[in-house]
Amino acid sequence: MFQIIRTAFLLLFLLFLNTVAAQCTLALTGHVNDADTKEHLADAVVLIRELKLMQTTDKDGFYSFKGLCSGVYTLIVSHAGCITSEKHIHLKTDLETDIDLSHAVTELQEVVVQGKTTNNAASEIKGKALESTRGLSLAESIKKVSGVSVLQTGSNIYKPVIHGLHSNRVLILNNGVRQEGQQWGNEHAPEIDPFIANRISVIKGASAIRYGADAIAGVVLVEPKLLRHDPGIGGEVNTALFSNNRMGVLSAMLEGNSAKKPAFSWRVQGTVKRGGYARTPGYWLANSANEEYNFSAAAGWKKQDRGAEIFYSQFNTKLGIFAGSHIGNVTDLWNAILAKDPPDYIKNVAFSYNIDRPYQDIQHQLLKLKAWKNTGNIGRLNLVVSGQYNNRQEYDQKRFASSSNAPQLDLSIATGLTELVWDHFNTGDFRGTIGGSFMYQNNSYERRLFIPNYQSTNAGIFAIEKWTKNKLDLEAGVRFDRKSIYNTSDNGNVRDYPDRVFNNISGNIGFTYRFTTALRLLFNASTAWRAPQVNELYADGLHHGAARIEKGNAALQPERANNLALNIVFNNTNWDIDAGVYHKEINGFIFLEPTFPPELTIRGAFPAFRYTQTNARLSGFDFSAAYNFDAHFSSTVKASLLRAWDKTNKQWLIQMPADRYEAAVEYSLGNARKLNDTYFGINSTWVLQQTRVPSTGNIEVPGTTVKQSDYLNPPPAYLLIGIEAGTKLKWKHNNVSFILSVTNLMNKAYRDYMNSFRYFSDEMGRNISLRVRIPFELKHKHKS
Amino acid sequence: MKMKHMKLVAVVMLGGLILAGCKKKNTGEENEEELITTVKLTLTPVGGGSALVYSWKDVDGVGGNAPVIQTITLAPSKIYNCSVQFLNESVTPAEDITPEVVTEGTDHQVYYAVSGGANLTVAGFNTDGNGLPLGTTASFTTAAASTGTLKITLKHKPGVKAAGDLVTKGETDVEVDMPVVIQ
Repeated sequence: MFQIIRTAFLLLFLLFLNTVAAQCTLALTGHVNDADTKEHLADAVVLIRELKLMQTTDKDGFYSFKGLCSGVYTLIVSHAGCITSEKHIHLKTDLETDIDLSHAVTELQEVVVQGKTTNNAASEIKGKALESTRGLSLAESIKKVSGVSVLQTGSNIYKPVIHGLHSNRVLILNNGVRQEGQQWGNEHAPEIDPFIANRISVIKGASAIRYGADAIAGVVLVEPKLLRHDPGIGGEVNTALFSNNRMGVLSAMLEGNSAKKPAFSWRVQGTVKRGGYARTPGYWLANSANEEYNFSAAAGWKKQDRGAEIFYSQFNTKLGIFAGSHIGNVTDLWNAILAKDPPDYIKNVAFSYNIDRPYQDIQHQLLKLKAWKNTGNIGRLNLVVSGQYNNRQEYDQKRFASSSNAPQLDLSIATGLTELVWDHFNTGDFRGTIGGSFMYQNNSYERRLFIPNYQSTNAGIFAIEKWTKNKLDLEAGVRFDRKSIYNTSDNGNVRDYPDRVFNNISGNIGFTYRFTTALRLLFNASTAWRAPQVNELYADGLHHGAARIEKGNAALQPERANNLALNIVFNNTNWDIDAGVYHKEINGFIFLEPTFPPELTIRGAFPAFRYTQTNARLSGFDFSAAYNFDAHFSSTVKASLLRAWDKTNKQWLIQMPADRYEAAVEYSLGNARKLNDTYFGINSTWVLQQTRVPSTGNIEVPGTTVKQSDYLNPPPAYLLIGIEAGTKLKWKHNNVSFILSVTNLMNKAYRDYMNSFRYFSDEMGRNISLRVRIPFELKHKHKS
Repeated sequence: MKMKHMKLVAVVMLGGLILAGCKKKNTGEENEEELITTVKLTLTPVGGGSALVYSWKDVDGVGGNAPVIQTITLAPSKIYNCSVQFLNESVTPAEDITPEVVTEGTDHQVYYAVSGGANLTVAGFNTDGNGLPLGTTASFTTAAASTGTLKITLKHKPGVKAAGDLVTKGETDVEVDMPVVIQ
């Protein structure tokens, strides 16, 4: 009897021991890799936050934790020069999980990134955030960044706005090359396929003087990932489907690296996009269909100390303009505004993919060649030569069916750009970039004259240096530019346009102080200038979409922006906070001023506007904070506030984004056997009514003598709710990711002040989208 | 080495400019859309008398010189047969666009609106192929002496023209105000 009890006890004890052992003998292993090159990273620090266990990867990038209990953990992985990554895991059995880290500093944008650290490290869209915007336009992809908004023309045309400024004041770098199109128009969207990028960064403020003086609002960097380094052929297919306008997007990329010639890599990529009419909560937006066909090809050759890269991309789009927005004159405009909604014969149009007049047809091509060579151990010399061609055709409503099929506006601009820069890094506490650039441009028009033919050159030299010592980074840069506009008289002698030359200096100085590893203070002061553009100098004519006559002003002088920006960044395991204030004084701010009386034409009277200058003050506050409650729950809040004041006329500046607040909650389930990184979340965006608008203007309300600054008061505030869920399905050696999201969940009818079609129609209603990303490997030699 | 670099630079920059020639152009030289510079009214008194001609003219188009606007002077208590013409006088010889309006009459309509107290009634419009009013010809009936304004509007309503359309429907091709004196 005793024997039995003893055996039973022993068995029970062994069983208990066994259970305990089963729970706490799990192993967690894996490699830490470079997200771009897939190389294993040595000396990366892997921390299990809940257990406060830390390990450093070996020379093969391998880490291994043993004797872990089953449970939910958060892995925090960091490496010098990389962005720290977090991963939630459900540990039930032994698990092998690899972690990819992105570079904080790319080879390409060394100095820009320095500018970024003195601004806002969080203003990047990549990884999951980028995946959840796939299929959208470039500007929509970055509008989640606090301080960034979009300028819209209907449901198809989006332009990025940084701190209330846009168009020529925002510089967009497409794979390291200044995007040169007809950026001046409010309805001229950037001609870039966001699928070429694996990261889109926003540098707010004028501190990034590296690519030109004129970017007084900021810079948007569209950065492709580096060419493949390890032998093999792989790629990915992205699809996105949208319910609202029944839009489908398909993008595919194939890249490879030769096993025989490891120095040689290549990539081809293409995107096809087609969408029909968008739908507001009450009706279809007739003729708001769109099409896009893009492709790009890149090839690179890379040795230890030198390399070269060639890149070509072509962007083609056809954008339908909402039929209800097309108006013959101001009477039509007032009729449309007073009716509030589009007339029935436009509202009752059925869904279609057809694009009729009015529409835009745009092509952009870019050819880029980059070569670099190390200068000993201390630096690298880079040469970038590029050619761009942009053609914009705008087709208005025809007067007669028998009228010509030609576009009413046909603008072409060709740009050649050469840049030679020297980056130095292994030079004591200093590193920086010194270089120069030269740009030549030729603009020509056919059909209607709006801006004249011209040629221009821009030559610039710059030096940016950064000094790092202990907890302090100091950065200073200076740049000189000379811009010339000439051959403006080659316009059939219709009108006389004088040639102009501008030259001036821009500069910035900033510091970052790291109080602790979690807390940083960033300060930047900069001064930048922007020469008046040709449209501001010489535009003359009817701007059809806007139903107004715009006149240039040949007497304009460059505008100068003096900026101050202060950011406090705090991130630890639970918090990720970035709070920034900025203050911008722009002397000679160029804007369209209403003139009186309206101009009489055979189509009726049109309000007339003339480019003029004033002194403006823009100040604002950007805030974003993320908090992790535990391994599952996290939440984010953001705010973007701006006050824009015309100091000369003592009134608010027109067309500035209203205050915006965002909040989101996310629940992540972590990893299961087949499904990884599963999450779902709910988000909300609250945009206030813009109440800060000029109190007077020259727009006469019909039937009264009241003069106001706009046809219509800014639309009321609105609150939008969205939901999003995503997961990754393990398939062979890759994760196929799925993201399902709903925007404007409540199908709310609303209008936005930054949409020039707010006069005519509501915004898009509920939109359900599904995004699938399928990475694949065709040939891969597994390292065993 | 240096020379090779310079050549590459030249080739790529040239390449960029050559791209400028790549985009397909529309075949054939097509003309800019019809420009309308002039609205001309010819008023023939019913029961005899010589025709009166009045016009609204902006020969240099949008911008530039201000338009030249004539005053329509009519006798009281009379009926006039009116015919309106839309002309492009920026070219020589002047181009008459009215026949195209008539040919595509099912997409167009001319409206006449009297305001400011002129005792003028406009009716009797000609019709398009669907029997809907077109208005390139009309009948003007005057009453007692008075003054006011006549607004002449040419609307373009491709595919949506219907009976009883208000002047607010469609896109405006022409909208001019001419003073009216009945004496």
